[in-house]
Amino acid sequence: MKIHYYPGCTLKQKTTALDISTREAMKLLDVELVEPQGWSCCGAEYPLTEEKIAGLAAPIRILRQVRDEGGDVLVTTCSFCFAVLKRADKALRDDPLKRKRINAFLKDDIQIDPLTKERTTGFEDYAGEVKVLHLLEFLRDRIGYPRIRDRIQRDLKGLAIAPYYGCRVLRPQKEMEVDHPDAPRLFEEFLEAVGCSAVDYPFKQECCGSYLSVSLPAAATEASYRVLRSARMNGARAVAVTCPLCFYNMDHRQDAIKEAYLDFPGIPVVFFTQILAWALGVDKTVLGLGEHRVPADGVFSEIPATEVRT
Amino acid sequence: MRVKLKAGRDQRKFIKRIEELSGENVFACYQCGRCSAGCPVASEMDLLPNQVIRLVQMGLDEEVLRSKTLFLCASCFTCESRCPKGIDMARVMEAVRHVLDPKGKDAFGPGEIPPELAQELPQQVLVSIFRKFAK
Repeated sequence: MKIHYYPGCTLKQKTTALDISTREAMKLLDVELVEPQGWSCCGAEYPLTEEKIAGLAAPIRILRQVRDEGGDVLVTTCSFCFAVLKRADKALRDDPLKRKRINAFLKDDIQIDPLTKERTTGFEDYAGEVKVLHLLEFLRDRIGYPRIRDRIQRDLKGLAIAPYYGCRVLRPQKEMEVDHPDAPRLFEEFLEAVGCSAVDYPFKQECCGSYLSVSLPAAATEASYRVLRSARMNGARAVAVTCPLCFYNMDHRQDAIKEAYLDFPGIPVVFFTQILAWALGVDKTVLGLGEHRVPADGVFSEIPATEVRT
Repeated sequence: MRVKLKAGRDQRKFIKRIEELSGENVFACYQCGRCSAGCPVASEMDLLPNQVIRLVQMGLDEEVLRSKTLFLCASCFTCESRCPKGIDMARVMEAVRHVLDPKGKDAFGPGEIPPELAQELPQQVLVSIFRKFAK
């Protein structure tokens, strides 16, 4: 199976672990990932006011490229990219005026093929031909858990993992339509399909503090602490995330969290794709574990560690 | 919270502008407070999300525009998912920031990030925060 895959800026630079583990896992599931040619940043934030529609140009240009390459599905792993692409696509399908304006703006866009130097311009209008899927949805709906179970090479023996959705995969509910915003099952079902046990805890869909870690670090420290502590108290061996910013706030900034909250002993934070790749038999050395500040090696041990309780 | 309503102040313009920008009906709000109850940053705010929308309903632009709250919202949409009236509060916040835009400097600019921190931040967070808090 061949599908279009949009890694986004962060996966190519600071958080390659998410990209690498995705590629390794998909190879073992016989899925070939194709990046749309000449992709740019998606914009990270979906424009929330009616007049700032210029922010729709970047995601629509990416989606149009996927369509022009013959794709009808675009898969992403980063929650921010997923939300921007999915909402931009929906905006153009639902709103004829936005469709007209953005397409008029992008029509004379010139794209140069990096190999043949051929110039393309005069693009056809994009009207929502591409379906944007989060990799978790793709695994469930297009590959299917039974097929994943057939390919499992390592028995994870019910390794206790806390799924962390964060903000952008589930909300805004009326536009994302992925799962119930307060009682989701998507991530849990994935974890159970690969042999983990999904830890139920009340902070799985709460915010980690997002970009406030730059402007008001204390707020992000507190928000991330609440999530991590709750996961640990409920018996999780690690917290699994889908977003590079959640990873930054909860892994890279965990020292700051420990400093602020002396009762917190720490917990590893991993990407869901690392768990998938590990279960499918990928070697530990290619999971990108060197990018973790909180050592996560113990999570990926041949004999899974037993549950740790505080 | 105590606010003063003065006769003669043209409140309709501000309300209309916020509704136009956000696409939300601010008068649908009946002040149940679920947005503030679920907000992860409420403890840092000078005005809670439900207070922001109440002030918008009354057209009290000055009170809203000087609030710290505008630059504390992380757009996590928890308020949106909990609102029984279907109001997307994150859109209302963004609309208020939009009205404020031409009046002041960046609420958060590149100069405020120490170089060593900029080195380790994921690109995503830089794009994100400048889109939200800089002009």
